[in-house]
Amino acid sequence: MDNNFLVIENISKSFGDNKVLENINLNISKSEFFGLLGSSGSGKTTLLRILGGFEKPDTGRVILNGTDITNLEPFERPLNYMFQSYALFPHLNVFNNLAFGIKENFTQKEIEINVRNIAELLSIEHLLNRRIKQLSGGEQQRVALGRCLIKKPKLLLLDEPLAALDKKLRSKTQLELTTLQKKLKITFVFVTHDQEEAMSLSDRMAIMKNGLILECSSPEEIYENPKSLYTANFIGIANIIEIYKKDENFYSDDLGINLKLNKELKNTKTNILLRPEKIKIQSINNLKTSSFNSFSGEILEKSYLGSFTRYEIKIKNMIISVLDQNFNSNSNYNFPKGEKVICSWESESIKVLED
Amino acid sequence: MKNKLFEKYFVFSPYFWLVLFFFIPLAIIFKISISVSEWGMPPYQDIFLFDNGFKINTTFENYVYIFTDYYYIGSFVNSLILALISTFFCLLIGFPLAFYIATSNIRLRNILLVLVVVPFWSSFLLRVYAWKIILQNNGILNVILLNLGITSEPLQLLYNQYAVIMGIVYTYLPLMILPLYGYLNKFDLNLIEASKDLGLNRIKTFFKVILPLSVPGIVAGSLLVFIPVVGEFIIPEMLGGSDRLYYGKILWEEFFVNRNWPGASALAFSGIIILVLPIVIFQILYSRWSQKNEI
Repeated sequence: MDNNFLVIENISKSFGDNKVLENINLNISKSEFFGLLGSSGSGKTTLLRILGGFEKPDTGRVILNGTDITNLEPFERPLNYMFQSYALFPHLNVFNNLAFGIKENFTQKEIEINVRNIAELLSIEHLLNRRIKQLSGGEQQRVALGRCLIKKPKLLLLDEPLAALDKKLRSKTQLELTTLQKKLKITFVFVTHDQEEAMSLSDRMAIMKNGLILECSSPEEIYENPKSLYTANFIGIANIIEIYKKDENFYSDDLGINLKLNKELKNTKTNILLRPEKIKIQSINNLKTSSFNSFSGEILEKSYLGSFTRYEIKIKNMIISVLDQNFNSNSNYNFPKGEKVICSWESESIKVLED
Repeated sequence: MKNKLFEKYFVFSPYFWLVLFFFIPLAIIFKISISVSEWGMPPYQDIFLFDNGFKINTTFENYVYIFTDYYYIGSFVNSLILALISTFFCLLIGFPLAFYIATSNIRLRNILLVLVVVPFWSSFLLRVYAWKIILQNNGILNVILLNLGITSEPLQLLYNQYAVIMGIVYTYLPLMILPLYGYLNKFDLNLIEASKDLGLNRIKTFFKVILPLSVPGIVAGSLLVFIPVVGEFIIPEMLGGSDRLYYGKILWEEFFVNRNWPGASALAFSGIIILVLPIVIFQILYSRWSQKNEI
């Protein structure tokens, strides 16, 4: 795979004294679905706008398919940008919105055919004569997508593509978007603040914070083996425990227990990550706590989530989150509030956060 | 219940105002326009006579007179042309200004808006008079041109139709900028970026996106300039020469110099009808069009 399809090289950008992007480097492959994830103010949208040509970087280059496009105007770039607000033209109907970008270079007949094809692809044939105001949010999103795809771009940039949709529609559209992307094999780069969205859509994703890229990898890798404390907390639910070396093993003051790691540590003191679904929860009657990687605690809070039950378990100075899958249909299977339980986990489940 | 009643009267109070100070005076003007003129005070006869039984004493001669004399029609046409040219230049200058104001950051925007409105704080008459001082033969502009050696003798800048157009564009420009700003302020700048992203350069983006979406602002600003300029009297009187006669001046002379009240009233009333009717029709057609296009 050509992983130099889109090369972002040493991009920096400031607005006045405010440094928005600092020395960003990224390589994105052809046909990749790439996510930029960060909270607001992380610089993710500015980076996307630089790719679209709406902002000029202070330093650095953007190279698309071997061509330096850093100084090209938006209308000269072989890529398209889908706006968060969709930015559909209110004075034109759906047909003319879709045809907007191809009107110049195509004959009336070609326009007709192209619009029909794209409308069919997105199942919006019945909307072609509608005004933009007569469309629902989901329909507007499709028109915005179609207006870009009709240009057959090499690269599609999407700014918060699903943020304006309601929750149920969002998960449906997520699936459609990935299917569409795999079918068309266009490289997608999108921006989101929603970690679930980033994980479900991306082949690879970059975590951004304060104008820097903290980590860039597949969603699985970032969830299971985050490199930094920030990423661990940002993606999913995280139990972060401070441990230090004691004799042969490790000890946590907050939990008051010994831990066993299947890995050597550089430092004598460090943070570890324990994901809530990796913890096994058992009734205290069944067995005793072992000397490692287990503790007994009291259930403080419990929320039933259907497929899972989330427990907040208090032990010594800490509250640990545990996600327990509901295997049994018997509701008595759940532990009640206030019950003493034993929690345990495998040594492999402990992830060391080195920095 | 009481509040409802109050609301009703409150809503209708502008109509009350309109009837009292617009429709009744208009009716009086119409009445004078169809009466027979005579020497005296007031210089027209009553339209209802009760001397020997009831008799209606009206005439449409005043209307026949102004519509058959090129002097009146010509001056009205001159005024329409003047209003068209002035509106065009106001739009040409006002649109980029309004767009720049609407798209600049909030601090600069407020400063610029104040600058647009500032001329209203001084007297209209004074501002037009200031132009007279600037443009006259030994005025500031001629002095500068002479000292720079651009001309060897003072240019005749004042007392012609160009001075009138300049004066009108200067005075009426805020009336164009403010409604335009009101519309452009709500303009979604992402639409411009979307247009560029879809391959249209700046000029094409202007004609395909910015202009069509600014039509309501352009219409509002143009009407606000066009209508009063047709009847404008002071600016042609102060800056204009004898090269062109305008409707406002003819009206003034007919009334104050010739003391022909019925003729002046007929002129005024015809002017209103000629101007208002097409605008009302235009407004109806336009509102239908904009509803259809949802702008």
